[in-house]
Amino acid sequence: MRRTHSHHFLFALLATAILFTPAYAQKLNGNSTAAAKAADSSPLKLTLPNKEGSLRFAVIGDTGSGTDKQRDVGEMMIKYHALFPFEFVLMMGDNMYGGEAPQDFQKKFTEPYRALLNQKVKFYATLGNHDQALQVNYKDFNMDGKEYYRFKQGNVAFYSLNSNYMDKKQVKWLEDELGRETAEWKVMFFHHPPYSSAKKHGSDGQLREVVEPIFLKYGVDVVLTGHDHVYERIKPQKGIYYFVSGAGGKLRTGDIDRETGLTEKSYDRDLHFMLFEVAGDQMYFQAISRTGETIDSGVIPRK
Amino acid sequence: MNKKRYILLWLLVCLLILASAVAVAQSTQNAALAPPVVVSPADKAAIETFQKQVKTYIELRNKVKENAPKLSKESTPEQIHAYRTALQTSLRNARTNAKRGEFFRPETADFIRRTLKTEFQGKDRQELRDKIFETETQGVVLRLNYPYAQTAELSEMPATLLAKLPQLPKELRYRFVGRNMLLVDRESDLIIDIMPEALP
Repeated sequence: MRRTHSHHFLFALLATAILFTPAYAQKLNGNSTAAAKAADSSPLKLTLPNKEGSLRFAVIGDTGSGTDKQRDVGEMMIKYHALFPFEFVLMMGDNMYGGEAPQDFQKKFTEPYRALLNQKVKFYATLGNHDQALQVNYKDFNMDGKEYYRFKQGNVAFYSLNSNYMDKKQVKWLEDELGRETAEWKVMFFHHPPYSSAKKHGSDGQLREVVEPIFLKYGVDVVLTGHDHVYERIKPQKGIYYFVSGAGGKLRTGDIDRETGLTEKSYDRDLHFMLFEVAGDQMYFQAISRTGETIDSGVIPRK
Repeated sequence: MNKKRYILLWLLVCLLILASAVAVAQSTQNAALAPPVVVSPADKAAIETFQKQVKTYIELRNKVKENAPKLSKESTPEQIHAYRTALQTSLRNARTNAKRGEFFRPETADFIRRTLKTEFQGKDRQELRDKIFETETQGVVLRLNYPYAQTAELSEMPATLLAKLPQLPKELRYRFVGRNMLLVDRESDLIIDIMPEALP
């Protein structure tokens, strides 16, 4: 009996080891060298179903610090890309801290994500409170020269808003676009979080006062934000799922206030990024730390 | 009999608690929504003058922009940098005689100050003030025709306030630096006008 148990244990150990070897990662993504490098150091754990034909994307926020830790996140993203080949990345703003000379674009964007850019992964940015207006014209941010814009991928419509300056004109544009929206999923992404438990900034009540009624009226499913340098999944608010993903390049350790009653799951110990997969009526998500640890995962059903 | 009185008394107490809870909730809700700003005929005239000034600026800006290199939506960082620098230089040269209060004339400034006061009053609006004052604006020189420092943070303009201020075209932005309100050219980041001590 004891012998059988130890056999089972050894078998499980072996299977786990095989599953997380570089060779297996490579097999999942063809002959990518990045994939081979990917699983060198830590076993990668993908909780997403990785279904054929699903829409895959990543999310990063408050990235533009140009630090080694930002680059670490970029490297972890390419490792996961080998397992889960996401097509594009949504950026939650503060894409560039402290200056926007050409060399800043290199240090704070191109270099940390070079491997992803080389693999033709597209980045879609939104403007944060540290971003200059002309970023909208930067080719690799794919903003189409606009402060707020919409694009559609599969059955999902993505709306990037400029939460720095939510004037009447933008509100009208949002209402008009949502009014004729036909996509099954509606995802908003912008910088300032309508709900947040972080002590530094927290929930943006004024922005929420204006945008939440519109989100409710037009059946928005998911809202992705940054600004607070933490990870937080908010308990669904009036049926909408809110995320704060603002630690892609800057971190405020211990910034989450545990007493707000808003938090479903949070993480404020290291930088992170997120992965999403939309398969029909299900949206799966996984939040991953700079070191590859899964800090949250789950599934959101469509309304 | 005593028991009946006792129950009645309890019911009365419960009703009183319920009524006061509803009243408190209602007053909190009302306080959250700042009262609308009263716009008098004089205010309307002030806003019209302000918008005329803005229109004149945009005409000048469009003329000046013709001399700047073209910027596509597929630009490189170098092209963006060249465009911003050229636009800044051309606009500064075109507005060497710019004066403080050119846009924020006394009547317009008065209307904006009242709007800000209304929007920012009340305990519940403390969050608004906190957000503006926590913005890291070190390095911003409050000087006309000077660019807003690139290293400084931009204060978020409260959406509820923007709904009440005179609307601006996409080329211009309101911005706060401490209690001061600025009018800034969005692309060049040049400070076009300054209203000191705008916030109550």
